[in-house]
Amino acid sequence: MSFEDTVRAHAADLYRYAYWLTRDHAQAEDVVQEALLRGWRAFPRLRERAAAKAWLFSIVRNEFRRAAGAAGREESLDGVEVPDERADPAGLEMRDALRALPRAYAEPLALQVLGGFSCAEIADMIGATEGATMTRLTRARQALRRLVQPRERKAGPA
Amino acid sequence: MNCLDYRRQLLAGTGETDAMRVHRLQCAGCAAEWQEHGAFEEALRAGLEVTVPAGFAERMARAQALRRRRFLAAAATVVAAAGAGSYAWLTRPDPLALAFIDFVMKEESKAIMMGAMPRAEARKVLAGTLPLDKVERVGQVKHVGPCPFNGDTAYLIVLMVPQGKVSLLVMPSAKRSSEGHAAKEGMSAVVMPMHGGSVGIVGENHALVMDVAGALQA
Repeated sequence: MSFEDTVRAHAADLYRYAYWLTRDHAQAEDVVQEALLRGWRAFPRLRERAAAKAWLFSIVRNEFRRAAGAAGREESLDGVEVPDERADPAGLEMRDALRALPRAYAEPLALQVLGGFSCAEIADMIGATEGATMTRLTRARQALRRLVQPRERKAGPA
Repeated sequence: MNCLDYRRQLLAGTGETDAMRVHRLQCAGCAAEWQEHGAFEEALRAGLEVTVPAGFAERMARAQALRRRRFLAAAATVVAAAGAGSYAWLTRPDPLALAFIDFVMKEESKAIMMGAMPRAEARKVLAGTLPLDKVERVGQVKHVGPCPFNGDTAYLIVLMVPQGKVSLLVMPSAKRSSEGHAAKEGMSAVVMPMHGGSVGIVGENHALVMDVAGALQA
């Protein structure tokens, strides 16, 4: 598969992933464009063409971190708390709830749901352990449930 | 597996394993949770799937194709420039060959007037660089004599071959590593390494010069 075909196949998901990293449409497009430029340069050296999708997602992530670092607004992935339940504005639409989610939780979720990557693959991409990645995914869903469900429906497992 | 394990794994979004399925089939609470989870996952997917700008994938793919074409065009330009440079370098007139032409056009008659050297002496002097008998096998030697050239002493040989006249300038002490060519005002010249020295051949056309050069090198 040529690089153009690879781009055609994954560009939409790369854009969505970049959006959930940047939370901004224009920045998401910039990040994907820059990432694809880097990808285009490195593509001839990519040995496993079957891994091109994960490779491109990783480049988008790196490009976002580079751009965010250059702009001095990189969000630390350590010590990020999920929204406090007491402060949760319950009953949000899912997209608004996702926007309220810290990037450290939204990112693995986007990789899992949009990219279809396994926990191990996500862990590898974000540089975390598989256990830590599972924890983030669990907490992200817990937070989203709290945010999107009306308060009276909030209940823990039996 | 208990309810807590079931719901924790469900929340991780890793899919339902066989063990989870067995538990769900025996637990009404987790079966309800499973239903709710399905709806939640659908909403989650829909929420994450933000609208991608129209034609984004195609635009990105076209940008890569354009980038590739530009790269190839730039590479072709570089190759062409390198080729042209190499051609120019290869076809650059050799300064010594040019000097030989100048000598033949302006100084040769003067050198001939200075007088020829005895053939025996010429054979001796030229033996190490270009044996005179070898020259004689190529054509008729009309003149052999010393002449000043480039601050050194060279030996001028005027040779008649069936195609016309050529002038040879033998420089026993001018070491050279490669052949050089030049053409100027209707004259052609080649200078080539010859047994530790060098020999220049000047004639009225390139073919004549190269024929004589080939015969002398044979």
